[in-house]
Amino acid sequence: MGKERISNGTDTMPPNGYIRRQASRQVSAELFDISCKVMLIGDSGVGKTCILVRFKDGAFLSGSFISTVGIDFRNKVVDVDGTKVKLQIWDTAGQERFRSVTHAYYRDAHALLLLYDVTNKASFDNIRAWLGEINEYAQEDVVIMLLGNKSDMGGERVIRIEDGERLAKEYGVAFMETSAKLGTNVDLAFMAVARDLKMKKTRKPTDPKFNVADYVNQEKKTGGCCSS
Amino acid sequence: MAEGKEAEQVSTSDSDQADFIEPETPVEIKNSMLVTTDSYEHIDYQDLESPVYDSHPSGIIHAIVRSGSVEESTDTNDEELHTQCEESNEDASSNELSSKEISDVTEEVSKPEVPELNSAEFDEDDVQTPEWRNQKKHVFILSEAGKPVYSRHGTEDKLVTIMGVMQALVSFVHDNGKDALRCIIAGEHRFVFLVKDPLILVGVSRGQDSTQQVLLQLSYVYNQVLSVLTYSTLHRIFKQRRNYDLRRLLSGAEKFLDNLLNMFDSEPSFLLGAVECLPLDSVIRDMIAQSIVQHAKVKDLVFALILANNKLVTLVRMKKYYLHPMDLHLIINLVNASESFKAAESWTPICLPKFDSSGFLQAHISYLDESCQTCLLLLSVDRESFFTLSDCKNRIKDRLLKYNGLKAISDSLTRTSYSIQQCGISDLRHFLYKSRSTAQYTSPELEAPYLSQEEQERLFGLYHYLHHRIHTTARPLKILYSVGPHETLLGWITQGFELYAVFGPLVTKPAAIHAINRLLRWIKKEEDRLFILNSVTF
Repeated sequence: MGKERISNGTDTMPPNGYIRRQASRQVSAELFDISCKVMLIGDSGVGKTCILVRFKDGAFLSGSFISTVGIDFRNKVVDVDGTKVKLQIWDTAGQERFRSVTHAYYRDAHALLLLYDVTNKASFDNIRAWLGEINEYAQEDVVIMLLGNKSDMGGERVIRIEDGERLAKEYGVAFMETSAKLGTNVDLAFMAVARDLKMKKTRKPTDPKFNVADYVNQEKKTGGCCSS
Repeated sequence: MAEGKEAEQVSTSDSDQADFIEPETPVEIKNSMLVTTDSYEHIDYQDLESPVYDSHPSGIIHAIVRSGSVEESTDTNDEELHTQCEESNEDASSNELSSKEISDVTEEVSKPEVPELNSAEFDEDDVQTPEWRNQKKHVFILSEAGKPVYSRHGTEDKLVTIMGVMQALVSFVHDNGKDALRCIIAGEHRFVFLVKDPLILVGVSRGQDSTQQVLLQLSYVYNQVLSVLTYSTLHRIFKQRRNYDLRRLLSGAEKFLDNLLNMFDSEPSFLLGAVECLPLDSVIRDMIAQSIVQHAKVKDLVFALILANNKLVTLVRMKKYYLHPMDLHLIINLVNASESFKAAESWTPICLPKFDSSGFLQAHISYLDESCQTCLLLLSVDRESFFTLSDCKNRIKDRLLKYNGLKAISDSLTRTSYSIQQCGISDLRHFLYKSRSTAQYTSPELEAPYLSQEEQERLFGLYHYLHHRIHTTARPLKILYSVGPHETLLGWITQGFELYAVFGPLVTKPAAIHAINRLLRWIKKEEDRLFILNSVTF
């Protein structure tokens, strides 16, 4: 099973966890019950790093575009109904030359957050190619979540929310629109992943199966509201 | 560097020569960590075409992986099975693009966004704008099919025509008697060509740069491309599709090329083929190196180094393997050009062409301090070792904090090198001193009168001139004393060092020689603070 592998991977972590280099220099020595690996993928410039920084630090990276080189790594421990889930988040570079490097890491990912930019048609058109790669390299039971980012940029939008929904339906993946700038649905995306993992780990055979897509549909906000 | 070649151009009489007491090499080397085999003077036309220079080492990464994986062969085998079997054994890394991917990607992914060209815009080539024409230096990369790959200034799309002309010139000369186009001089412009199948690199300079110096820059630019793609991938792509648009694979890497060329204009390290070390007390430097040795004893870790403000703090290497200065410059450029490493721990593929041009090393890159000045790089051949190295990094950091290593580094950075006054030589304004056996150099802070941008550029031009005069292949010199309108220059090459010194205009020759000898004594005294004298291995 893939998940055994994931938890094995964490055995190599130092006992006291990874030291975050934040201004406060807090040590995330938090204990956790389960750990899982999440990867952010999608074309260059769709906002992968921004989504992650919003989730992790609650901030928005405004100003100039800093493209990721290779893969950046961050940790965050979240609480799902009393269970501590550690998300190891791999933030990949979107450029074509890194693809062959990054898809080598799909294999042991528990969840893939696949992003496009609602103001950039090419990034949406490439989603099919991305899904093809995921199919080829990722585990079968990987959680895939399609995110249409920059939903706050109403004026420049070229991809309607229905387009995203249709594509997600076609491939049977969870979908929502997000805004790293306003924070819309950002926590939900990561929390849904954490919840799915927790359910997989703790579900008794008699319990109903957890469906991320349904959960997301229930919880997501569709407006541009930022009350998260 | 034969003595007899000084000839009459050397404006030192025999009696003066006696004053140049050739000292024992000021920097004594126990064993060097940087390879110094092809320093600048070897990069000339003969050697650019010789197989030795043009060699693209390959297979080293593979060898390390193989030697390390004997006991864990099952582990790696099952992971790399699908890639290993379809690649020749020269391809050390399975990180590379397979041919299928390239063609897939070509079909599936839509073209990179080319700015919409309306006809009015299209007519106005960048070439016509005065801004573009007045640039001091241009560097172009194109494919042998004539497709634009990169231009330092302007957008490649709008330079299609001029790149076509360059390609035509190169292939015309090539077809006529199998000759190679090397340089065109037109007015004050110098066009230098470097053909590195499947790429053509062209440098255009209006400055002081000599043909050789431009050629050296082009070699660096070519190596930067390899560093991003690997030699094997570059060749495979063009073997498959001669008209491939390489910009697709280089997108996002333009900043490395831009930054490299900018550094070239402001850092003497490229010209000298040497690196600058952060001045540190040798006891502290040893402690830092030992922290790495003790806490990063990891199988498959080839190089571990700490950089601070583009200067080398320490380098630890695997026994048997050396880091070439050219490769180290590419590493420095990678760190210098990327903001993204400051945000999180990073795991990045990098090809070091002089180490192994056929595959990637994986670099774990992280900053050790809050202010993001001290950068630790751990270069491994194992793609799966991120968490192991992350762990090493934490332990190294803890130890450096405990023993004040990080504080020593940041103190040295705030002192910003040293003042020329510290040498205690009144007429001397500035100098570059390269220790040839270690491929390291030292140089004082830029002080008055070299504070403004223009003055710094002028000083740099003087060094280029001096360097060129001394190293010119037609007539290499050992000593050159040159009096200019604003300053007097003295260059001196021996077995052990290269020294380029700048004096005030009124200095006399005996005074300059006296000063140089005092300077050498000063460097000798300070050498274990200014240079890394012994190399540390895992």
